Amino acid sequence: MSKGKSFDRRTVLAAGLGLGASAALARGARAAAPPEARIGYFVETKPTMIAKSLGWFADAMKTKAVWHEMGTGAEINTGIAAGGLDFGLAIGSSPVAAGIAEGLGYQLIGMVDNIGPAEEMTVRAAANITKPADFIGKKVATPFGSTSHFRLMGFLGVNHLSQSQVTVLDMSPEQIVAAWKRGDIDAAYVWSPAKAEILADGGKVYETYKELDADGYVIADLIVVRTAFGRRYPDAVAGFLSAYGKALALYVTDPDKAAKIIAQAAGVSPAVAASNLAEYDFVSLKDQLSPEWLGPPGHPGKFASVLHSTAEFLVQQKSIRTAPPLATFAAAINTSYLAKVVG
Amino acid sequence: MRLVAGSARTWTGAASVLLALAAWQGVVAAGLVPGDLVPPPTSVWLAFVEILRHGYRDTTLSEDIGATLGRLLAGFGLAALLGVPFGLWLGVSRRASAAFGWIVQFMRPLPPLSFLVLLILWLGLGEASKIALLTMTAFPIITSASQAAVRGVPVLQIAVARSLGATPPQVFRHVVLPASLPMIFTGLNIALAATFSTVVAAELLAANDGLGWMVLSASKFLRNDVIMVGIVLLGLLGMALSRFLLLLDRRLVHWRGRA
Amino acid sequence: MKPERLWPFTVATAALLFAAWTAATALNLVNPLFLPGPGLLFSSFVDLLLNGYKGYSLPVHIGISLMRVLLGFGSGAIFGTLIGLGMGAAPLFDALAAPFVDFLRPLPQLAYLVLLIVWFGIGETSKIVLLFLTALPVAAIAARDGVRSVPEEQVRVARALGASPAQIFRHVIFPSALPEIFIGARLAVGIVYATLIAAEIIAGSNGIGWLVFDAGRFLRSDYVFVGVLLIGLMGLGLDFALRTIERKIVHWAGK
Repeated sequence: MSKGKSFDRRTVLAAGLGLGASAALARGARAAAPPEARIGYFVETKPTMIAKSLGWFADAMKTKAVWHEMGTGAEINTGIAAGGLDFGLAIGSSPVAAGIAEGLGYQLIGMVDNIGPAEEMTVRAAANITKPADFIGKKVATPFGSTSHFRLMGFLGVNHLSQSQVTVLDMSPEQIVAAWKRGDIDAAYVWSPAKAEILADGGKVYETYKELDADGYVIADLIVVRTAFGRRYPDAVAGFLSAYGKALALYVTDPDKAAKIIAQAAGVSPAVAASNLAEYDFVSLKDQLSPEWLGPPGHPGKFASVLHSTAEFLVQQKSIRTAPPLATFAAAINTSYLAKVVG
Repeated sequence: MRLVAGSARTWTGAASVLLALAAWQGVVAAGLVPGDLVPPPTSVWLAFVEILRHGYRDTTLSEDIGATLGRLLAGFGLAALLGVPFGLWLGVSRRASAAFGWIVQFMRPLPPLSFLVLLILWLGLGEASKIALLTMTAFPIITSASQAAVRGVPVLQIAVARSLGATPPQVFRHVVLPASLPMIFTGLNIALAATFSTVVAAELLAANDGLGWMVLSASKFLRNDVIMVGIVLLGLLGMALSRFLLLLDRRLVHWRGRA
Repeated sequence: MKPERLWPFTVATAALLFAAWTAATALNLVNPLFLPGPGLLFSSFVDLLLNGYKGYSLPVHIGISLMRVLLGFGSGAIFGTLIGLGMGAAPLFDALAAPFVDFLRPLPQLAYLVLLIVWFGIGETSKIVLLFLTALPVAAIAARDGVRSVPEEQVRVARALGASPAQIFRHVIFPSALPEIFIGARLAVGIVYATLIAAEIIAGSNGIGWLVFDAGRFLRSDYVFVGVLLIGLMGLGLDFALRTIERKIVHWAGK
C-alpha cells in the first residue's frame, strides 16, 4: 500500500524509459529475422533451383529455410491456406488468381518467368491437325488447374469449341507422356520435360501462345508471400527476392554453369536443363517493376488485369465461386520489397 | 477339413512364388514385355539394393519405412484408444447408440481420400493431417465392431450373472467384456487392414517421406523399378502386420472356436 | 413393459449438430473456405445438379463411378469367390494360391494403381483392373473360410447317403458357405468403393471421386462437401442394396 503521490518522478521516468525501450524493440523486431521461412517449391529446371541448392535463400533471409516440395500450384495454395507456408516459389498465375480471389492472405511480390511458348499445344504429327476445327473429336490432355489448362480452355473458348466436341482429359505431366506413348491421346497442352519428350516422340508444335497472349491469356510463374509474414519481416522478404535475383544473374552471365547446377538439383542432364531453360522468358527484377508487368510500388502494372481476367475465367470454369474486382488484384501486388532490392 | 500338413503347405507356397518369379523374369528376358515397362525381378532387386545403400531422394529406406509405420501406428492406435471405449458405450447404452450411432454409420462409407484436402486445410501440412486421416479410417470400423460385440453377448449370460447377484459394473467386467473381445478383435483386424491401405493415400499430398511417398514420387520420375520395390516392401509389411495380429488374436482370444 | 422411444435422442443430436453448424457459419466464426454453411451447400448442390461440373452432369459423374464399382466389384467378387471355393475344397490349390492371395489382400491399392496405369493407361481399364484386384482377395478369403467352416457331420452324412462330390458341393458346402461369402462381399464393396475414389483421384477426368478432388484443388470446399456427402450416401446405398440381396438369397441364415 503506497502512500503519497501516485505519480512520483521515479515512476514517470521508469514508465518513459519503458515506453521508449519497447518502441525501440518493436522497430528492431520488425527488422529482425524470422525464426524460419517455410517455402513451397517445385522440382523444376529453373534458376530458382540454383538459389535453393546453394543456400542463397537462407543466407539472404538470415534464417533457416524449410523446403516443402509441392506437386502443383494448387497445393501451394492449400499449404498457405492451412497456415503451413510463408512463400510460394514459381507458383502459376492461375492458382495465384484463385488464391487472391479466395482471400488466402498473400501478396504477389515478384515473377519467376513469363511463360510464353514454354507451355504449348503439342499435337501428333500423324493426326494432321492444322486448324482449330481439326480438334473436334480429338482427345487433348492437360493438368487441370494449371496454367496450361488455363491456356487450353482459352484456346477452346476463342475458337468456339466446346468440351463435348473436344475431349479434355486431366493428366499430370508424366501421365501425359505415358498416355502419348500408348497412343491414348492426340494432343497435349503441357510444359517440359513432358513437352520435350512427346515432341521427340512423333509430336509437333501447334502454336497457340501468340494469339492467346494477345487475347489476354498471359500466363506466368510468380513469387508470393504471406501478407502477415511480409509485414513482420520485410527484410527477409527482400532478401528472398535478392537471392533469386542473384541466381537469375548467374544464369544470364554463365548459362552453362547455371544449367549444371540446375541439372543436379532437378535430376536431369545438363543438356535437358539447358534446353528447358531456353524456352522461358525470365523477366529481370528491374523489368518486373515496369508498368508492363507488376509496376512500381503503389502503381500496380498490367499484370493486375491479367490476374483479374484469369480469375473471371476460373469463375466460368467453376474453379472459384466469384472473382473480386480489379482493385483487389491491384492491391495484392506489392512491389515494395522488389524495389528495395533493385534499388 | 483336412489340410495339407503345415510344412508341406509352406514349401508348396514357396515353390509357387518362385515359379511365378521365374516366369516373370523369363517373360521380360524373352522380350515379350519391355523391361522398362515391367521391370524384371533382377532390376527390382538392384533398385532395392541401391535404395538400401543410398536411400531414395534424400531419405534412407529405414526413414521411409519408419515414417509409414509411425503414421500407421499413431493413426490406428488413436482410433483404437477412442473407438473401443466409445463403441462399448454405444453397445451398452441404447440412448447413446440412438444419439450417436448414426454419425458413426455415416462415417463408414466415406472414402478417406475424399477429404484429405479438408484435413490439410484444418490441420496443416505436417503429420497431424495424415494421422487424422488414418484415425478417421479406422475409428468407425472399430466403433461399429465394439458396439456389435456388446450387442452380441447372449442375453442369457447376462441374466444368469444378474440372478447370481452381480452388479451392472461387475456384469460388464466379467461377462460382457470377455464375451465381446473376439468381435472387437475382428474389428481391430479389419480396421488395421483398412488403415494400412490408406497410409499410401495419406502420403499423397504434402509428404516428403514414407513408402507411399516413395512409390508416388517414383511414378513422377518414371522409375518403375523403384515403384516395384515400394510395392513389394508394402506388401511384405502388410503381410507381417496381418500375421502379427493373427498371432495376437490366437494368444489373447484363444477360446474362440473358428474365426 | 413398453420399450423406451429412442428416436428423440437421434433427432436431438442431429438437430444440435445442425444448429451448431449453421450458427458457426452464419456468425462467420469459421472461414467458409474451411467449413461452408448449409445454405451455401444447398445452393452449390443445386448448381451442380443444374449445370454439371467441367463437362459432365452430376448424375453422369455419379453414374460413371457406380459403373466402375459394379464392374470391378462384380468381376472381382465372382472370380474371387470361385478361387476361394477352390482353395477351401482343394488343399493343394490352397497351398499354391495362398501366398498370392495373402500378399495381395493387405497391399495398399494406391501403390499398385500407379503400376497399373503404366501398363494399362489412364482410361477405364486400369481402374477396373484395380477394383477387380481389390475385390478378389477379400472374396477369396471369405469363400475359403466359408467352405472350411462347413460342419464335418453334414458332409459325412451326405456322403453316407451316397451323394457324389459334386452334389455334396452344390447342396451342402456351397449353401453353408453362403453367409460368409456375403460377409466377404459386403466387406469387399466397402473397400472397392474407397479404392474407386482413390483411383479416380490419381487417374481420372470424371466420376464423383475425381470431382471432389478437382474441386479441392482450388479449395472449393462447398463442392467438396457436397461431393463427400453424395459419396457417403452412395456408399450407404450400395451396402443397403447388398444387404437386401443377401436377405433374399440367404433367407435361412437370418438372425
